[in-house]
Amino acid sequence: MEMKKWLEKAAQSILDQDEESAREIAKKSLEDDMDPVEMINDGFAAGIRKMGDLFDRGEVFLPGLIIASDAMAAAVKILEEALPQDRRQEKLGIIVIGTVEGDIHDIGKGIMVTLLRVHGYEVHDLGRDVPIEEFVKKAQEVNADVIGSSAMMTTTQIGQKKLEEALKKAGLRAKVKTMVGGAVATDHWAKRIGADFFGETPADTIDKLRRILN
Amino acid sequence: MMKAKERVMRLLNHQAPDRMPCFAANTSVTYDQMEKVQAFWPEGHEKGETMARQALAAHTVLGLDAVRVPFCQTFEAEALGCKLKPGGSEGIPGIDFPPPYSLDDTPVFPEDFLSRGRIPELLKAVRLLKNELDNDVPIVGGIIGPFTIAGALLETVPLLKASIKAPEKIRPFLEVAEKAGTTLAKALVDAGADIIACEDMTASPMLAAPDTYRDFELEYQKRQFEAIPVPKILHICGNVDLIVEYMGQTGADILSLEPKASALLARERCGPDIILMGGVDTISTLYLMDPDTVRLECEKTIADGIQILAPGCAVAPGTPLENILAMVAVAREH
Repeated sequence: MEMKKWLEKAAQSILDQDEESAREIAKKSLEDDMDPVEMINDGFAAGIRKMGDLFDRGEVFLPGLIIASDAMAAAVKILEEALPQDRRQEKLGIIVIGTVEGDIHDIGKGIMVTLLRVHGYEVHDLGRDVPIEEFVKKAQEVNADVIGSSAMMTTTQIGQKKLEEALKKAGLRAKVKTMVGGAVATDHWAKRIGADFFGETPADTIDKLRRILN
Repeated sequence: MMKAKERVMRLLNHQAPDRMPCFAANTSVTYDQMEKVQAFWPEGHEKGETMARQALAAHTVLGLDAVRVPFCQTFEAEALGCKLKPGGSEGIPGIDFPPPYSLDDTPVFPEDFLSRGRIPELLKAVRLLKNELDNDVPIVGGIIGPFTIAGALLETVPLLKASIKAPEKIRPFLEVAEKAGTTLAKALVDAGADIIACEDMTASPMLAAPDTYRDFELEYQKRQFEAIPVPKILHICGNVDLIVEYMGQTGADILSLEPKASALLARERCGPDIILMGGVDTISTLYLMDPDTVRLECEKTIADGIQILAPGCAVAPGTPLENILAMVAVAREH
């Protein structure tokens, strides 16, 4: 099968939110000697970008996006394992990300982690319910460019503000950019607490991230 | 001047109250109030006496037209076997990992549900409040909606994925979850609650697809509300425009909306009889801004048709007292 067809099939498997099919296509395309980098960037990533657009337009909802991003992650893992070390993509930036302490929700953040990796960022996912010190410690350890925090509840959102303060205290604030996300965050909130930006949707976040790191 | 309960009940009976009622569908406890009534967390989540004392602050310190228990969203889930994550002195308890069930399991509703976890203390708090308030101030008892409890039983991400990939599999969880909320609601009413507020965060279109609400959650929410013999508030967080029509079909007497949702649309879709509650964004305004901004935002939502002035969602515990008081003052002028 020619490359173009493989790319279409890859994108379609993401739009169909079909993880099994995405894995299958990743494996078969390798057997057919397709280029894994191209399969990721022009196939699967094209599919997830389209899903992101549909989500932004309110035609797809969060559950669909979660399933599609899982399918994407599964396919990308297979393709990346087939890549020789020197062909692995250069990272666009190092990101430390987590859901703030007290908040056990991992919903939107999981999608962001997958998408950021697909877009070429090195992502250190601290998971959920992350104490503020852990964000700071990890950022120092990996020399992070960006720290992202997610909060899903009005009662835990204060953690994002505490993170800003902790970064200042650690003398780290000038060295990193901070992004806030989650169901309860807004542009206003980001400005108010001194975060660099609010990522509203996956597409919006990727876009703002690219601009702020340039 | 009417007593708070008369004010609220008149509105619920579609008669004119002396002024606009103002109270919270969700928790309104803040650190300031804790200091004033000398009742603190974590005891306020665990002990009936402390819980009642903190709840009373809504009326005695804030001047709200109702008091409300509890202050977290974990009572049913804990009693159904979820692991509790304590919130300490500053936060509210949450549900910890791992969840008790996976999608292929059959969830169980325990016969001794009402004596599990902290439910006996919650009921005790309501009885204490009833005693103290002597029918002058309505008591709002809080329960959690079926979809949200199902999200605690399975963890939210697996629930959301199943809602698309294998939706029929979520029904047994919605069944048990509905039964839990309904059983708790009836016990709260028996203990003295005048109004039941059902919070269903996970059913928000920000998380679940609107079709999932229409095709699944609506049926269970209807069943639940049918079984509860007092007025019901339905609160779903975020912009609920895409499901507000179905929220209006649940049998709720009051819809509690965040300012992100359109009160105008809610009125249009749900008809003239539904009572709309809401007013001010709890984070970007109530927590962060000043009394003037709070007043402006309240006036705007009142102009959009809000009939009970309220914080749009759970009040952040660090919210300044003067901001909440500014909201109450607006209600007194209407």
